[in-house]
Amino acid sequence: MRTPEERTTTMSFTDIFLQQLINGLVLGSFYALVALGYTMIFGVIKLLNFAHGDVYMVGAFVGFGALSLVAGTFGAGWAGIFVAMVISMIVVGFLGVIIEQAAYRPMLNAPRLSILITALAVSLVLENSALALTDGQITAFNTDLGFNGIELGNLYVSYTQVVLVVASFILMIALELFVSRTMYGKAMRAISIDKDMCRLMGINVQRVIAVTFFVGSALAAAAGTMAGVQYGRIWYFMGFLIGLKAFTAAVIGGIGSITGAMLGGLILGLLESFATQIPGIGGEWKDVFTFGVLILVLVLKPTGLLGKSEVERM
Amino acid sequence: MRKLLTTLASAAALGLVLSAPVQAKDTLTVGVQVPTTGSEATYGTDMYNAMKIAADEINAKGGVLGKKIELTTGDSACDPQQSVNAASKLASQDVVGVVGGYCSGATLPTLKIYGDNNVPFVIVAANSTKLIPANPGNAFMINSTGFDQVKKAVGFFEKKGVKSLAIVNQGDAYSQDLANLTRNQWEKDGHKVAAYETVSKGEQSFASLVTKIKSSGADAVFWTAYYADGGLLIRQLRQGGFRGIIAVGDGSNSPKLFEIAGRAAEGVYGFSNPTADFLPEAKGFIKSYKDQFGNAPGPYAPLAYDGMHLLAWAIDKAGSTDHDAIEKALASVDGQSWLTGPISFTDKNTLARSNFIILKGEGGHWTLESK
Repeated sequence: MRTPEERTTTMSFTDIFLQQLINGLVLGSFYALVALGYTMIFGVIKLLNFAHGDVYMVGAFVGFGALSLVAGTFGAGWAGIFVAMVISMIVVGFLGVIIEQAAYRPMLNAPRLSILITALAVSLVLENSALALTDGQITAFNTDLGFNGIELGNLYVSYTQVVLVVASFILMIALELFVSRTMYGKAMRAISIDKDMCRLMGINVQRVIAVTFFVGSALAAAAGTMAGVQYGRIWYFMGFLIGLKAFTAAVIGGIGSITGAMLGGLILGLLESFATQIPGIGGEWKDVFTFGVLILVLVLKPTGLLGKSEVERM
Repeated sequence: MRKLLTTLASAAALGLVLSAPVQAKDTLTVGVQVPTTGSEATYGTDMYNAMKIAADEINAKGGVLGKKIELTTGDSACDPQQSVNAASKLASQDVVGVVGGYCSGATLPTLKIYGDNNVPFVIVAANSTKLIPANPGNAFMINSTGFDQVKKAVGFFEKKGVKSLAIVNQGDAYSQDLANLTRNQWEKDGHKVAAYETVSKGEQSFASLVTKIKSSGADAVFWTAYYADGGLLIRQLRQGGFRGIIAVGDGSNSPKLFEIAGRAAEGVYGFSNPTADFLPEAKGFIKSYKDQFGNAPGPYAPLAYDGMHLLAWAIDKAGSTDHDAIEKALASVDGQSWLTGPISFTDKNTLARSNFIILKGEGGHWTLESK
């Protein structure tokens, strides 16, 4: 039995600041990974893909299933998790392509509102399928990872957090290279500027759109699997809140901009972390504070931090 | 032509509805209001199963008033809006009474519906004190209320020498009520509340909250809400290096807490209503539950079982399915006992005694710490 003194930790102002900075980075990198999918899909077909949060949820479940399958061979430690994540990224990437082909492609020339409603429908289909398949039960996502971590004075980062942040940064850098260095990336950027002109120039627009959905969904699946590993719990409704927040992150950064989505995700994560700590704001007001800042950003810079202004025609 | 078809089709549909046979019923329909989907589905299904066992037992002995009991479910989903729909559905189905009520937040708005329709309502698990003034008189709470839990909790923290307490709730009627009452009592007893926090339901990351709790100098955390997010908070508190006492309210008293929180749940304390494992009278019940459903009964199963028996007892005593007579019989219950101990009600229709026990997480499940 510990005495009350042994049970408490005294943290200085710097400790608190650094610890919340770390917390914000971890949270922010999740938001950023999901926000990337939003922003890429918006970039190529100007669609706010509201089903994206649910793709993240499906990614978590596929990752969980894959981990149970490969745990025998690779164990449920880092090796198993890595393999499960890759499987989940591939499976869910193809799911994204199927969603695009089945639900969005026939609507590409319809009014923008119709395709937006289709996205909501896809979201409900995914969510309710998961609800039916899991009976609405919460599934515990168990791994062999312990609670060990790096302790620096009063600061504490678990190894899981470190690996997850590093992994998401690697994914983000890979995506950045993909978009800026490869032919597909170049085509993606061209399509986001003028789809019809790209078609005239002989670019296979449909295929590039499919690739975009694949990559965006795969990133969401990676984030979903990581969230399962980090938080140890998955359920059919887990995509809703993060879908909203990632969308917000994409808007803060300037929707359509890839660097913007990463920046927006990190800013949102940091804002949430620090808002929790501010006396008088606390946990219950942190969303009010965070979204208040969002409104402020949009008032001062309507296109988001890194967004380009463009003439909107609905 | 098309119009004609439509008219014909509607006429046929109307005919079907009207011709539904109005037969003299040889069964009594009892409504069961529990969450069978959503984050609390585990509890809800478990409570339904327990009521099913009770109903089967009653039916095997010839039923009530010579009629068999038949259950019909309304899924409250632990959501105020959905539970209102479920309650309206049950109230319109000519039920003799309703047994159930798990999430207090979702039970609260249904009180008015059952009150307006004068449906006898045995509330088996929900125990927020907010339910007491909202009760139109036809609802009966067989679980100890929040007040009893607060006394138990504050006494426990004092005994453990806790100096500064952090209280975390989820902003719903049940957990906020428990948190608020605990804070008032704790401060009244001259102790310090280090942090009083509300988290949003479905939130995944509690890291920044953990940092705030750690930096507030709290040496104990009291989580007043449900296991789904409670497991997550416990896990992240320990991951974040919190070394103090963690205790959870009765809403988190589920084996699932250990699945979600893993090793972090070792040494966590929980306040609980009488669960089957710690009730000597419940041995037979545990066995038939395991035989029928393949797993052990959850924390609210005995109360749910008792609720069904209590309603049947009251119908039997009333001698009719008249709602007023059943309610009168319920109010008159005087120490009738099934699994969870003697039931009698105060003039506010709440259980007349406290039934809370203290549990401790050891080896991946709850063990009895003290009665």
